[in-house]
Amino acid sequence: MGGNPAEAHPVSLQHILEGKELNRANMIVIDPRFTRTAAHATDFLRVRPGTHIPTIYAMLWHIFRNGWEDKAFIAQRVYGMEEIRKEVEKWPPDEVERVTGLKEAEVKRIAETFAKERPSTLIWAMGQTQYSFGTANVRASCILLLATGNVGLSGGGANIFRGHDNVQGATDLGLDVTTLPLYYGLDEGAWRHWCRVWEVDYDWMVSRFASKTLMQTPGVTSTRWFDATLLPKAQVSQPDTMKAMFIMGHGGNTITRMPQAKKGIEKLDLLVVCDPYPTTWAVLSERRDGTYLLPACTSFEMNGSRTASNRSLQWGEQIVQPSFESRNDYDIMHMLAKKLGFADQLFKNIKVENGHVVAEDILREINRGGWSTGYCGQSPERLKAHMKNQAKFDVVTLRAPKDAPEVGGDVYGLPWPCWGTPQLKHPGSPILYNTSLPVKDGGGTFRARFGVERNGVNLLAEGSYSQDSDLKDGYPEFTLGVLKKLGWDGELTPQEAAVIAKVGGSNPDTVSWSIDLSGGIQRVAIAHGCAPYGNAKARTIAWNLADPIPVHREVIFTSRPDLVAKYPTLPDAQQFRVPNIGFTVQRTAVEKGIAKDFPLILTSGRLVDYEGGGEETRSNKWLAELVQDMFVEINPADAAERGISDGGWVWVTGPEGRSKARMKATVTPRVGKGLVWMPYHFAGWFEGVDQRSKYPKGADPYVLGESVNTITTYGYDPVTGMQEPKATLCQIRAA
Amino acid sequence: MARMKFLCDADRCIECNACVTACKNENQVPWGLNRRRVVTINDGRPGERSVSMACMHCTDSPCASVCPVKCIFSTADGVVLHSKDLCIGCGYCFYACPFGAPQYPRVGNFGSRGKMDKCTFCAGGGGSEVPGSSEEYAKYGANRMLHGELPLCAEMCSTKSLLAGDSDVIAQIYKERVITRGYGSGAWGWTTAYREDVKV
Repeated sequence: MGGNPAEAHPVSLQHILEGKELNRANMIVIDPRFTRTAAHATDFLRVRPGTHIPTIYAMLWHIFRNGWEDKAFIAQRVYGMEEIRKEVEKWPPDEVERVTGLKEAEVKRIAETFAKERPSTLIWAMGQTQYSFGTANVRASCILLLATGNVGLSGGGANIFRGHDNVQGATDLGLDVTTLPLYYGLDEGAWRHWCRVWEVDYDWMVSRFASKTLMQTPGVTSTRWFDATLLPKAQVSQPDTMKAMFIMGHGGNTITRMPQAKKGIEKLDLLVVCDPYPTTWAVLSERRDGTYLLPACTSFEMNGSRTASNRSLQWGEQIVQPSFESRNDYDIMHMLAKKLGFADQLFKNIKVENGHVVAEDILREINRGGWSTGYCGQSPERLKAHMKNQAKFDVVTLRAPKDAPEVGGDVYGLPWPCWGTPQLKHPGSPILYNTSLPVKDGGGTFRARFGVERNGVNLLAEGSYSQDSDLKDGYPEFTLGVLKKLGWDGELTPQEAAVIAKVGGSNPDTVSWSIDLSGGIQRVAIAHGCAPYGNAKARTIAWNLADPIPVHREVIFTSRPDLVAKYPTLPDAQQFRVPNIGFTVQRTAVEKGIAKDFPLILTSGRLVDYEGGGEETRSNKWLAELVQDMFVEINPADAAERGISDGGWVWVTGPEGRSKARMKATVTPRVGKGLVWMPYHFAGWFEGVDQRSKYPKGADPYVLGESVNTITTYGYDPVTGMQEPKATLCQIRAA
Repeated sequence: MARMKFLCDADRCIECNACVTACKNENQVPWGLNRRRVVTINDGRPGERSVSMACMHCTDSPCASVCPVKCIFSTADGVVLHSKDLCIGCGYCFYACPFGAPQYPRVGNFGSRGKMDKCTFCAGGGGSEVPGSSEEYAKYGANRMLHGELPLCAEMCSTKSLLAGDSDVIAQIYKERVITRGYGSGAWGWTTAYREDVKV
């Protein structure tokens, strides 16, 4: 649900198809579009875009009604499922059909299959996340997995396929504007932890910011930067509007509302594009001055660790020297830091030899600080040993045999959490929250992230624990204080105790497993078979969010204005330093009758031939030959009504700011009536105008085309700032 | 002696075009010519199936039978090669081929054809060039067979749908798959090319 791995992750299909063939697995695809993945499914359900939560609750309605849920799992390991039941009661089959278009019999069929033929896994990608309620979508998915007891076991779980090389690593290591690296957050404790790791003075760090408040406030997301540039200063929660953009490896055409981005680019004082290709950023606007292109090399031209979807790390070796005068990301950051005057602090523990940053030292720094996520055990030496001994790992279990030299017992790539110091030789955790293994062999429990009780209800696990655990019940996260209470603190070595004392200062008992730089607390907890982060229930109620329980809300530009009164989007609010006025936009669209003028639902996705913004792949002659034109998929009935022929040119118009785009039509039943679909990899045309002449000579991709995001519209997730390119409205006419 | 064959498992092919891209890059096949392509039937409808098609290196090749200059032949490994020095670009082989494998670069006005080009099973060419030489590479593409390597298209297949190699081995792999699955056979083109059943 919400993914098309046959096109977005073709190699993954080998494993999915083997599951189908070897294990007779059911393969159910629920999608608005009959995707190439759906072509191989055992069951396919066509659904209206933006109705993920009603679909999940529709399944749960049948599951709860028939008692197909995993009662023991819920009792021991899940918090708040009773509240979920109440919400699910609001989704009887007739309401489900009214909202999603799904029939009772087909929902019951897949619900029964999913709940009974265990283990079940749910695979998704951006078809769940890229909505103004993306966070609620993925939480609903996790709730379905929890209700059916499909978390923490081989063959089960949430399998979220990431987009490209190291996208998981980038997420883990600080791209998220709400947190410092590895999910420590932005509060003072987090800053102090990283300042200790970096060995820089905390007060110096504070002095780099306009205020301590700003230092602890989430930044502007890449989806909203142009709003932070274009909105009046008073509406932007920082000292001034956004004045400069330094873009490293990011395709501007992957962001919605491109006409606004164009205005934003024109208003910036400074624009730096650091990329192997000039990208959309360089050619979209009429900007003349203050633009710099810094040639960066690709990941094949540099060393370093990369993290995959399954949280495994691999050590990438430089294959060729950087082309022309391009430099790798590390060296560019070093040169920039030098110009800005803080290279000594940024590279204090990272060697720079002959102007080149030593990639191994970067990973060692991650290891020294990455306790929270278990990024601490994957030293460059261990990863290199894995690369050298790849043949020793089992292709299904990912384990090396116990007696294999260098890598014995390890899981390939030491998937995080890989606890403790590299010397502890933790094998990595191939499956999260898996209680059937000891923690030292990759087992785990649910994290005790949210305290031990809420409103008198126990948040800790009950009667469930990882194998060989000395504690046979739930327990909170480990601190020095907890070790003392258990009488285990004596097992810390004098060196470990000294580090903990230094970290804790006047209050060492509060030093936790995640900020103990010695790794001693983790080591002792694991020696007793315990997970350093505690053993709690998974919470289905996120009381810190606007919607503690996921509820259905219509997309901002909905094809069903009649449903907005019952399922409106969340109220307007200030988020990520800019206003999110989704509620106002949605209400205005309903009042203006936008859905009448723009009767087609527009959704977008990936092609197998291109990747991301497509600058790199559209510049590859073999790939470019395969798809030479931007296109829109339209149902034969919709095409016939409009006199549109397959391969003919069309104009697509969007509901915001008279946006328009010219492309070719692909007339196909792949999309149902009323739905159109576009790939998002194209750029280099804007509103019908070819911008090829604006690329630096010789730097233009072979294939250019309109970007779908010229047409996509407003809509942002309150928790992540994620955009809404998966469901908006448009109209199409023959050109 | 091993007999080289291709087998595309249509239950596995997902139309990812990795085979096409691998072929193009390995053999530097120019735009507009396709030694290999992925064909999809029932596109966008239930029953949609894709197959990766190239020269099947037939047992009794119709292309060789009709060639007026006898430039097409089978090697001892069962690979069908041709000599571009002898080829006159007449196009007979294109009409004879049940798979549409032969390709012709357009060399002039009025659609006149250049020398025929097709999949060589990454086994170099059928001319007088020294195997593995740069002359052979320029005219026919890679000679991976010389080093005991299989065609790159099959090596790069995302889902192990496209199999290439010794016919007994790939038939055995496929047979095991079909028995395990317990449903239908998707070995498209096999009986046309080799006039034999895959025995499942």
